[in-house]
Amino acid sequence: MSGVGPVEPGEGTRAWDTPEASAPEASSVPPPPPGPLAGLYARHRRTVLASTAAVVVLAGGGYLYATRPEPPTPPAQPYPSQVVEVVYLGPGSLSAGAPSGSFGFEMELVVESGPPVTVERMTQPYAGLALTSDPRPPFRTESGHPRKIVITMSVTECGKVPENAGLPFLDVTLRNVRAIQVHSFILGERYARDLSDALQVACSNDSASSPKT
Amino acid sequence: MRQRSLIAITAALAAGALTLTACGSRDEGNGSSDAGSGTTVVIGVDAPLTGDLSAMGLGIKNSADLAAKTANKEKYVDGITFKIEALDDQAQPSSGQQNAVTFVANKDVLGAVGPLNSSVAESMQKVFDDAKLVQVSPANTGPTLTQGAKWETEKVRPYKSYFRTATTDAIQGPFAAQYLYNDAKKKKVFVIDDKKTYGAGLAGTFTKEFEKLGGEVVGTEHIDPETKDFSAVATKVKSSGADVVYYGGEYPQAGPLTKQIKAAGANIPVAGGDGINNPAYMDLGGSASTGDFSTSVGAPVEELPSAKDFVANYEAAGYKEPYAAYGGYSYDSTWAIIEAVKKVVEDNDGKLPDDARAQITAAMQNVSFDGVTGKVSFDEYGDTTNKQLTVYKVEGGEWKAVKSGTYTG
Repeated sequence: MSGVGPVEPGEGTRAWDTPEASAPEASSVPPPPPGPLAGLYARHRRTVLASTAAVVVLAGGGYLYATRPEPPTPPAQPYPSQVVEVVYLGPGSLSAGAPSGSFGFEMELVVESGPPVTVERMTQPYAGLALTSDPRPPFRTESGHPRKIVITMSVTECGKVPENAGLPFLDVTLRNVRAIQVHSFILGERYARDLSDALQVACSNDSASSPKT
Repeated sequence: MRQRSLIAITAALAAGALTLTACGSRDEGNGSSDAGSGTTVVIGVDAPLTGDLSAMGLGIKNSADLAAKTANKEKYVDGITFKIEALDDQAQPSSGQQNAVTFVANKDVLGAVGPLNSSVAESMQKVFDDAKLVQVSPANTGPTLTQGAKWETEKVRPYKSYFRTATTDAIQGPFAAQYLYNDAKKKKVFVIDDKKTYGAGLAGTFTKEFEKLGGEVVGTEHIDPETKDFSAVATKVKSSGADVVYYGGEYPQAGPLTKQIKAAGANIPVAGGDGINNPAYMDLGGSASTGDFSTSVGAPVEELPSAKDFVANYEAAGYKEPYAAYGGYSYDSTWAIIEAVKKVVEDNDGKLPDDARAQITAAMQNVSFDGVTGKVSFDEYGDTTNKQLTVYKVEGGEWKAVKSGTYTG
């Protein structure tokens, strides 16, 4: 056993009651009388220790709960206008039964990411034009599944259409779980040119008030 | 015995709690805004930091600074520390050109952000291009800067080193015309501009589209931006019978202009471009500005999930001035330069090459990332491919978004 260092006191040896070797003179001095708090502690030692343990456990647990790693907040769903793209493809064929003075265009609607987007309405801004679309709104488009849309426009009053608009657009009402928005899609120079050509053909014989019949 | 067992259990629990607490706080390290070692790359910022337009210019500077600090904190480019050096152009082309010369002379400057004004950009482009130093403007909207003087008939890119994250007046003017004519039902416009590159150019693209739509221009005037007395013009507006005024210019003049137009008895809205889209417009115009319109580049910040972090980080950084209309675009312009530097460094074994400026300019053409304002990339002219616009209206003393559009042509 020699040479292994101090032996831990075993149960019942009460090693902590042994007077310190460095103060042998104190061994003959009686311990001071316990104060009122010490007496109280001696009488309720178990209760105090149990309470202390409970407080420590509760405090530690509370702190851990308060500082627990939060699961990452799921990102807010995007506004529909920020994930939808409408691209002009070109002139399209007219559906059967389209009125005279009508012309068609093909578009592609793409939902780039996020939840599905529903097209609630499609309009164009000019007073002398009427617009229908195939598919008819409302229709739903999911991310990763581009949807082809055929627009049919009918001239109702030639005097109220622009003959050569530079940046014509479509107003599309979009809805997803985040919001409903009316967003303008400015389809570019090629659409502007094709629309202008179609309007000129439709109104070429009668520019006063009615489309070509 | 039981007492000692109780003490041992208590100690074990306490130690366990402390250990777990330590584990729980392990991730709360304090990041430094500076990488602290390696090569320093300076990004020059040119903007009006003093004068009437400083509200926009300081937002540009601060937002560029935030981008650089973010890159440093994230150690986004290994071995590179970014530093912003901002110079004041006072919205003057001559000052901007001198600043460009200063940036070119500093070999550590490998890119420049700015300026605010298209007229200032015109004076800087050649200086930067001769030095093959890339320039990314967050705010210039004049079409000629990227598409040449004959942009309406024949687009020719004048400088390979110039890029921008703001869309152009080739779209902004017509978009405003379409809104005023079709949505606001305005048919007679009085057009005023400040004769500067931006103001006159925007008024021109607006007018052309408004007339194509069937609208009538009942009067035109040019103002001197050095004065604030527009009473003579206001009287002409009143007698013209216009139902809307379109102003090509900036808010320091537009604010007093709307006030004086209303005071002359013409109770019609004034509309303008991104140059008036600042809270200072309402400060200068007072209640007379209510009902006025502006367009501005991009979608409203609150609609952009990507802008949320930028807004929070800008506030946390404690900048005194607001990020204003171009803060997000300035952050993205700066980040575009950071991306180009990253590409060049990574392609050169982690070091800057000797011809870093030329390589960074070339790399910019293919930069693509998800920025504060959406997807950031550039077309063959150096224009942004993200072409969104929003119409705002003054309501309750604030610019309120009323309609947004996206150019997809």
